[in-house]
Amino acid sequence: MPNDYDKAVYPEPPRQTPAVDKQTALPNPALILTKLFYYTVDLPVTTFRDTIDSIRSKNKLVYYHQKFRRVPYLTDCQEGDFTCYYEADMQWRRDYKVDQEIVKVIQERMRACQQREGHSYQQNCTKEIQQFNEVTKNFQSRYGDLGAYANAKRCLMKQKERMMAAQAQSA
Amino acid sequence: MVGMSLLRSAAAFAARLGPLKAGNNAANILARTIPRTNKVATRWGHGKKMFVVKPSNFYDRRFLHLLRYYILLTGIPVAVLVTAVNIFIGEAELADIPEGYEPEYWEYYKHPITRWIVRNIYDSPVKDYEKVMAAIQIEKEKGDMRLTQLEVRRQMRHHGDGPWFHVPTPDKALIDNSPKSSPDN
Repeated sequence: MPNDYDKAVYPEPPRQTPAVDKQTALPNPALILTKLFYYTVDLPVTTFRDTIDSIRSKNKLVYYHQKFRRVPYLTDCQEGDFTCYYEADMQWRRDYKVDQEIVKVIQERMRACQQREGHSYQQNCTKEIQQFNEVTKNFQSRYGDLGAYANAKRCLMKQKERMMAAQAQSA
Repeated sequence: MVGMSLLRSAAAFAARLGPLKAGNNAANILARTIPRTNKVATRWGHGKKMFVVKPSNFYDRRFLHLLRYYILLTGIPVAVLVTAVNIFIGEAELADIPEGYEPEYWEYYKHPITRWIVRNIYDSPVKDYEKVMAAIQIEKEKGDMRLTQLEVRRQMRHHGDGPWFHVPTPDKALIDNSPKSSPDN
């Protein structure tokens, strides 16, 4: 079966099913329905999956997560060294993708928390909400309005504008 | 006789005026017989074979037949291949890179067909990267050469001693100096 999600990051709320306290002799329809579902749907699907897995287990393939070497940034390139510019741009694009995925993960955590807590999410999920706000604010300030044709040089210019604004504000 | 022919023509005229009206069949008007609806054929055994006149659907059926044929001609083998790959080979699982092992470039993809395409058809991403860097390098060198050419031209024109701005003049030895020996001719 495929790997389950990380239980530490997405904790399950405590189960609230009460202890079985049968007071009638009549059969429990919920129990009948669960057993029916199990035998008609769950068991065939699980056996199908197990047969396919047993066929597949003879040729097991693995894939890896590619790690890229760090190259000099755009600020460390000599002027006119276009190959250095290209490598820095590619590295910036990879980092941009990684940052987008980070934001998605933090957003997913906040959504899971809201789903878990129900109507009392605003007071119970303050950590997730605060983390999400911080991450999105940083992402917006770094990659915010660069648009579809963003590249490393434009992002660097945006950073320069930010630094100039901060300096003007502090001065 | 004349009266009968008059009636017959009148009935035909009435039928022609309103051919779609129910009781206006020419024979019906003339004889005004009531159609007998209580004695109809209740058992449809060998019904009379009718030649139903409708437009031809030969071309439509041929088109759909050919469409299905040509789509399924390659569609079915592809579907069978993809199903067989998914059942018998299956997708790859994510694993950590073992120590000291450099994975091949196709081992970074999940689906076996993607891996096969990347391995056999595409170039490795390192090669693509190097191709782009080589193109950039060639263009940079071209640009640098053009800039140096312009600079050399500027310098030669300025100093006047560069080979590009030499104007060919006739040979010094060809000058006939004899008129200069008698200046006041």
